[in-house]
Order: sequence, then C-alpha cells, then structure tokens
Amino acid sequence: MHCEMILDEYRERQPIYNKIKDIVLDRLRSTLRDNNMVVTAIEGRVKTEHSLAGKLELKGSKYHTIDDITDIVGVRIITFFSDEVDKIAAMVERMFDIDWDNSVDKRKMLAIDRFGYMSLHYICRIPTSIYHDPEQPLLNELRFELQMRTALQHVWANMQHDTGYKSEVEIPMEYQRSLNRLAGILELADEQFSRIRKEINDYRRNVQSLVATGNFDEVPLNGDTFRSYCDLRPFQRLAEKIATINQAELYEDSPMPYYNILLRLGMKTIGDIERMRAECSDGAYQLALIQLAGTGLDIVAYSVALQNLCIVKILKLGYGTVGLTGMFSAIYGESAYNAQRAERIYQQALRSGLVLNDHHPETETSAS
Amino acid sequence: MDITIKNEGEKTLVTLDGRLDTTNADQFQSDIQPLLDLQKPDIDIDCTNMTYTSSQGLRIFLSLQKSVLARGGKMVLHNMNPQVKEVFDITGFSNIIAIR
Repeated sequence: MHCEMILDEYRERQPIYNKIKDIVLDRLRSTLRDNNMVVTAIEGRVKTEHSLAGKLELKGSKYHTIDDITDIVGVRIITFFSDEVDKIAAMVERMFDIDWDNSVDKRKMLAIDRFGYMSLHYICRIPTSIYHDPEQPLLNELRFELQMRTALQHVWANMQHDTGYKSEVEIPMEYQRSLNRLAGILELADEQFSRIRKEINDYRRNVQSLVATGNFDEVPLNGDTFRSYCDLRPFQRLAEKIATINQAELYEDSPMPYYNILLRLGMKTIGDIERMRAECSDGAYQLALIQLAGTGLDIVAYSVALQNLCIVKILKLGYGTVGLTGMFSAIYGESAYNAQRAERIYQQALRSGLVLNDHHPETETSAS
Repeated sequence: MDITIKNEGEKTLVTLDGRLDTTNADQFQSDIQPLLDLQKPDIDIDCTNMTYTSSQGLRIFLSLQKSVLARGGKMVLHNMNPQVKEVFDITGFSNIIAIR
C-alpha cells in the first residue's frame, strides 16, 4: 500500500523532477564551459515509473517515503581521465549542497584484491543561490544523484548491467572471474591514460620553457615545439620587411603548413630553423622583391616569410626545381603547375644571383 | 569583368570572366553579397576565364571565405590560370584560400 502512495506522489512530482534535471544539466554544462573543462558526456534522466515500481517491489520496505529514494533524478558526468573525476567532484561540491551522509565514493569501497564498479556518487540539492522560485520550494528540497566516472568506468558499468553481473549469483564463477580480470585491465588503462597525459603535459611545459629561453638547439622539432616557436613570431621581422616592398598590409596566417617541409629539409631541432632564418633571410627578401615589386599587390600573408625562407634553403642545398616542385606538391598537392612555378622561381633566382650554378635538376636530390 | 551566379542544386556556381581589379571590385562585392546570407553555402568559383586579380580581389575572396566558413559552408576556387595563381602564390594566399 505504501508503495502505491509513493508512486502517486512520484506522478504528482514528475514536473518538478524534470525541472530539477534540466536545471542541474544546464548549470553543469555552463560551469564546465566557463572552466574550460571538456568531458566525454553529461547525461540526465528522471527514473521511469516502471523502473521505480521495480525498485519498490525489490526493496520497498527500505523506503518509508518517496524522499528516501535519492536517485529519482539522476545525472551523470563521464570524464576522459580518472584524475578529472576528482576535479569535477570539487566543482560539484562548490555548486550544490551535498548530502554527505548518503554520498558514496565507490572507488574507495573495494577491497585491495577486488576490481569492479568504481564511481563517485553524490546526493545533492540545488542551493537557492543557483536557482530559486518561491512558488516551487521543492526544487531546492528534493535530492538528486550525481554520478561521476571515467569513460572506461562507464563501459564497465554498462557491461556489468548488460551481463547481470551485479547480482553475482546469476552467472557462473568462471565468468565472474573473467569479468573481474577485465575490470582490473580497465582500471589499469585508466591509470595509464592519466599518467601518459601527465607526462605529455610535463614534456610540453619543458619544451615551451626551452623555446622561451632561446635554447633552440636543445628543442627537437615536432608539431608541438614548432607551434611554441611560432608563438615567438620568429618570422615577423622578415614578413614586415617583405610587406614594406609595396607598403602592404600584413595578413595574419599560420606558418604550420610549412612544418612538413622543414622536416623534409632534414631539420631536427628548432635551432636548425633558426640557422636557416639567419642564412636565408636576405635571399628570402630578395625573392619577394623580385616577385612583388611593381605589382601593386598591397596585401601579403605572414607565412610568405617562411615560404620564401624554405625556397631559398632548397636552392642553397642545390635541390633546384625538383626540390621546389616537391615542396609545392607537398603543400598544395600534385599538379603540373607546381613544376612551372618551380621553373619560374628557379630562373628568377638564377638571374638575381640567388643560385650561382645552373644545376641540372634531373640529377639532383629532391627535397621531397 | 563578367560575373555569373547560378544555383545548381545545393551548390552555387560563380563564373568570373576578365580582370578583377579596383574598377570592378565593388561590383563583384555587391554581386556576391546575397551568397553571404545563404545557410551553409557551398560555392564553387570557376576562374577559367579570369585573367587577373588585384589585392582588392584577394581581400574580397578572403572576406567571402571567412563568411562562408563562419556559416559552416565551403568555397573553392577552380581552374585558375598560372598568371592569377601566381598572385595567390607570391602573396601567400594560396595557403589561405581553398584552390583546386
């Protein structure tokens, strides 16, 4: 009988439960966004009448009133990494009123020789500081459950649910053992993901500091380090000089398309780019002068500086038109035009003394 | 310069014929203005018969591409002749504007 009363009250309160779910989801999403925190998913649900009836049938005697059931509104945040669960938890603690007596850190409940479901469950209320409607005091009085777990814990929980593993008696011991082993692997994988991410972040910080202090020869060239180096605007002076040829506007763009060209040119450290900059800047400017002077073109992209540095470097290495064609194909894709452009630049370079000897490109080593 | 704008299904085909310079840049800008109001525009610009572009033309392509990308669309310049392509190359715009 009291189960019927609980279900009646549930039906009556359903709009309030839905509103609690919506408010919580909305506030969580905006707070995560404001804190630049990226998660795998945020999801919420109000327990269906069918599911609640099932729960009451199984454990009805445990609940005296509907308020004793704390998971009618359930919200879940799924993170990528295990260390993010604690960060999210700290954020949640600041946002909501937590019912500590009923909140559970299932991650700490397992014995050291057990693996399995691990998740952090908080029972919360919406404080009036977040949402207040004097007409609907229940919005601040009713509790909801907030689960925080990693994507792998989520996989485990779903698998556990699907296999009926949670009830333990329903499946033979050998399958339980297999599932336990798998849970251990998932826990280990979660730990490894967090550790690898930390190591990558440490590496990036270290490299950024080496770049910032100018220890370029100690910095290996890779996508990350090149980006950090570009943040120092190493081609600014040359780009500005090129822009003065036609009193042009300098248009900001990214030099990243040239990263692969630098690798093809055999550059191993940021120091190698610095040496190219020192050796080839005059040539790169000369080339721009030949190409732009008298054209009236009064807008140039910042990356032209690096484009011309690479062209001059290729010519200095003696890679000739084959090398230039390889560079253009690498950036713009294969096209007959690339060879024509390479030939034109090569002839310009010959006439201006940027290339001293007339190499035979067919016999040269290609930068590509 | 002659500008033709045709809709082919969900795609907009723009054909440019002649020189794009200061004398007709404003006209070009106003002709393509309606394209900026399209939801998720998909614009192909045929440059087969385009003989030259000035900096003004580059700026218009740039602003058109920005608007198109901001609306989740795409814009590609096709069949550029070598003289016009050189303008894009020496200014570094070949890396900025999508060209095929």
